[in-house]
Amino acid sequence: MRYMDKSIDEIRKALDAQTVTSDTLFQESVSLAKQYQPASNAFVTILEEKKEQNTSTILSGIPYALKDNISTKGILTTSSSNILKNYVPVYNATVYEKLERAGAVLMGKTVLDELAMGGTGTTGHTGIVKNPWDDTRQIGGSSAGSAAAVALGIVPFAIGSDTGDSIRKPAAFGGIVGFKPTYGRVSRYGLFAFASSLDHVGCFARNVKDIAYVTDIIKGKDPHDMTSLPDDNKKYTDTLDHDIKGRKLFYIKEAFENYENSDNLEYKETISKFLETVEKVRELGFVVEEVSFPKELLNAVYPTYMAISCAEATSNNANLTGIPFGVRGEGNSINEIMMDARTKGFSELIKRRFVLGSYILQKENQEKLFKNAQRVRRMIVDKMNALFKKYDGLLMPASGGIAPHFGEKDDQLSDRYLILENHLVIANFGGFPSITLPSGFVNEMPIAINLTGRQFEDDVVLNMAYKIETITGCKNQIAKGGK
Amino acid sequence: MYIPTIGLEVHCELKTNTKNFSSAANAYSEIPNRNIATVDLGLPGILPVINENGVKQSLKMAFAMHCEIPEFMTFERKNYFYPDLPKGYQITQFDQPVGVNGYLMINVNGEDKKVLIHDTHLEEDTASLDHYGNYSLIDYNRAGVPLLETVTEPCMHSVEEAIAFLESLRSVFLYCGASEARTDRGQMRCDVNVSLSDSENILGTKVEIKNVNSFNNVKDAIITEIKRQTEILEAGGSIAQETRRYDENNMCTYSMRSKEDAIDYKYFKEPNIPPIKIEREWLEEIKKEIPALQYERITTYMEEYGLSRYDATILVKEKEMAEYFEETLKEGADPKSACNWITSVILGHMNKYEIPITKLFLTPKMLVELMELVSSGKISSKQAKEVLLKSLEEEKSPATLVEELGIEQIGTDDEILVIVKEVFGEHPEVKEQYKSGRTNIVDFLVGQVMKKTRGQANPATTRKLVQEEIVKGE
Amino acid sequence: MITKEKLKDYAGKLMFDMKEEEYDTLVKEFDVILKQMDFIGKIEGIEQVEPMTFPYEIGHAHFRKDEVKDILETVDAVKNASDVENNQVRVPKVVD
Repeated sequence: MRYMDKSIDEIRKALDAQTVTSDTLFQESVSLAKQYQPASNAFVTILEEKKEQNTSTILSGIPYALKDNISTKGILTTSSSNILKNYVPVYNATVYEKLERAGAVLMGKTVLDELAMGGTGTTGHTGIVKNPWDDTRQIGGSSAGSAAAVALGIVPFAIGSDTGDSIRKPAAFGGIVGFKPTYGRVSRYGLFAFASSLDHVGCFARNVKDIAYVTDIIKGKDPHDMTSLPDDNKKYTDTLDHDIKGRKLFYIKEAFENYENSDNLEYKETISKFLETVEKVRELGFVVEEVSFPKELLNAVYPTYMAISCAEATSNNANLTGIPFGVRGEGNSINEIMMDARTKGFSELIKRRFVLGSYILQKENQEKLFKNAQRVRRMIVDKMNALFKKYDGLLMPASGGIAPHFGEKDDQLSDRYLILENHLVIANFGGFPSITLPSGFVNEMPIAINLTGRQFEDDVVLNMAYKIETITGCKNQIAKGGK
Repeated sequence: MYIPTIGLEVHCELKTNTKNFSSAANAYSEIPNRNIATVDLGLPGILPVINENGVKQSLKMAFAMHCEIPEFMTFERKNYFYPDLPKGYQITQFDQPVGVNGYLMINVNGEDKKVLIHDTHLEEDTASLDHYGNYSLIDYNRAGVPLLETVTEPCMHSVEEAIAFLESLRSVFLYCGASEARTDRGQMRCDVNVSLSDSENILGTKVEIKNVNSFNNVKDAIITEIKRQTEILEAGGSIAQETRRYDENNMCTYSMRSKEDAIDYKYFKEPNIPPIKIEREWLEEIKKEIPALQYERITTYMEEYGLSRYDATILVKEKEMAEYFEETLKEGADPKSACNWITSVILGHMNKYEIPITKLFLTPKMLVELMELVSSGKISSKQAKEVLLKSLEEEKSPATLVEELGIEQIGTDDEILVIVKEVFGEHPEVKEQYKSGRTNIVDFLVGQVMKKTRGQANPATTRKLVQEEIVKGE
Repeated sequence: MITKEKLKDYAGKLMFDMKEEEYDTLVKEFDVILKQMDFIGKIEGIEQVEPMTFPYEIGHAHFRKDEVKDILETVDAVKNASDVENNQVRVPKVVD
């Protein structure tokens, strides 16, 4: 009997009925992880021993995986970078601490794009993560291993981080659910910072209710994080089934104008399937309208994200010198050892982004580059907030297509396609709660929709997603490679 | 002759229990890497959480320096690589610091002067490096200790003014209880800007001397730098805008980096610390905690109590002494005489034994009692001095000592009169002798009384009574 | 004008070096991003907008009470350093 491919409710039931023990679940999870590791490479570390738990919550005794940029005391945490390949934290991230306290059982640490700066799952220091639906394709990133582990049925849920789309994109390519709550809802303490003003902790699962279970555990005010939100004293699982009649959603017209005329068949099919989903969503009682969004702002999303995220990242990662921690460089002077550690410790992509980020922050460029990016960020967020006065959520295709093959170049994509590839970051700009749901298949690969709601209304977003999930036919799906 | 213009940037460690952004102890420790939390090591995933008390102390200082205080306070990152900076950036304030546009008063050679303060901002200290043969060791104890950096306008024109400002600033820290401001522990450190010009209104090229760590060194560094620049200018040269370092062993400054090599710190808003609203009610509470400062007290002492600037300055050097002095006034002491006792006997004793005034056995009340014994003529001031010294050394109250030593003067006229009559009884011939012109017989009689009372009779009273007695009966 | 030499200087200030061909790629990337940023600068009304650091106005920021806690053991503090002497992190001599 296999449990790791089941929902949290089903596993809980089996545990409570004592038809299975948490030891057995841990063993199952670990052996699945090992079994799939050569094909998928989802893990940096697979734990050998289970910590004993003695609390009783919905999650107690249930195995899960953490992205390897989340600090775990005594357990190697590399951020998938060579510069941290020997780093064993001496403190716990708040999200890990909360899960531990709830009795959830950590079984492994998952691969990410190096330092979470990438969207392909191909830049981690332990190698590329493959898509469990088709191993010639990317799973996407940066939370690549967490997405793969859930899609493969190794764990019922996993924790990730999301700065641009790092949970919601790999969830889409992996055919699972990925949720990034409101900025500050889950503490960032212990999450290795990429771009602090955009970073979020969130989770993956195979259905919306499981997402709500996990979010209920990991959310909350944290004295270690000044930007963490006050407790909302809500239990998201309680309101999942609330009536959604009359809830209003919109999608952005400019994102796929004239898609019918595209010669990219996958793109065409993805959009027409999205529009079919929209119809079904209307049948559920939602009002869904097409809304026009300023094109210049849509086009500005990606450069704005690049400017802000690279700038913050170059500063956030200045602690990686190999001196108080990390792999020490060689040399005869202090500068030589720092240079050596960072030259060898970072891959090319990371260095390019750091140089870009530091250029953007240079005194003479700040006004034109950094501050302008921050200004556009506000314009986009203001526009979204204005739309949210009328609408409860933005419903969009999570991507303009299916998971790309390894080596496929993004810059060959058309302008329209780019908007669809980048719009998820809007939710990071404004800290909006945002969830990706699998919605069907194109060329036997999963496609997904994304639902983004008002700031602080995580409960409403989960409620709406829970309802929409009923018409997708993709609830609790396991990737081909995990069957 | 060139006119020097001096600006100061003074870093001072604040007195708090914990660091600015972590809950590790803000304490001096000889044992390395003991007062450390995750934040202080810049470990991956850490977030700064600001210390309420650090903000409070810095607001107090901003107030005391007459600064404008913004509605919101923000923090920025100052980015640079150095092994004493584990995060790779220092969290400091740039856009909306805790205070701007303030001033402090100084007095140099009897003249008052306003030193303008550009801003004062809250930031964090770096780790410390200990240097050995061919290596250095990093101790992170100091990393993250709250620092208040106060930046003056370039408005001082002599080394005396610069030192007076530093002393004045130090006293504000001490009076506010915001810092121990100990230069011997590196708690107060300065960057000094010096420029020379031949006209009052034009600033010359600025040279910055980094990290000078005692007032004496600041003084020497300024003198040395003025001399160096003067020599260059007199030889027809020009001053290079640069950053220099002061070498105290060789009493010279040497170049660290030129203007061209100036570091771009890439300041940007710290994304982990939201703007902090400074609640006005809180500000009012903080305001109330600020005591009267040195400068104000000097003015009061001079204008209201008639003390000299010299004496007033001694009294306010430490807040505790000023408070001691003011306490004696509350007990009814005469200001001038209290000042005399404190600045002579008491201060002498404190210096001799290196004890602070707060640790003295003698309370202001005791001092006032002793002073009253003198003014009522019960003991002489010479006796009072002896009693005071004994009181300080033996930790006994003056009243007890007067009794123990039996030195209380026989005070009342009646008591003395009894003895006077006794003496007249023993020497019946004296009235005749006095009448026949031997007026100095009075001295003999006073001497006899003093002898009988072993010096405890008040001489003036005795003389008066003898005079009255000798002419009686005619 | 972005040149390879400038980029090398920037990289050096960030304490790393890159391969020659990596700088070539970077020059091209700068070309792309700077063009896009130029475009951003032309968005109507941008100059009147206040730069945004936080996703929303955070009115709930809390202070920390000035109480000592969560102290790291000295041994943990230096646990991840490769070169330690006398519980301190050892590095080549720092001269300035």
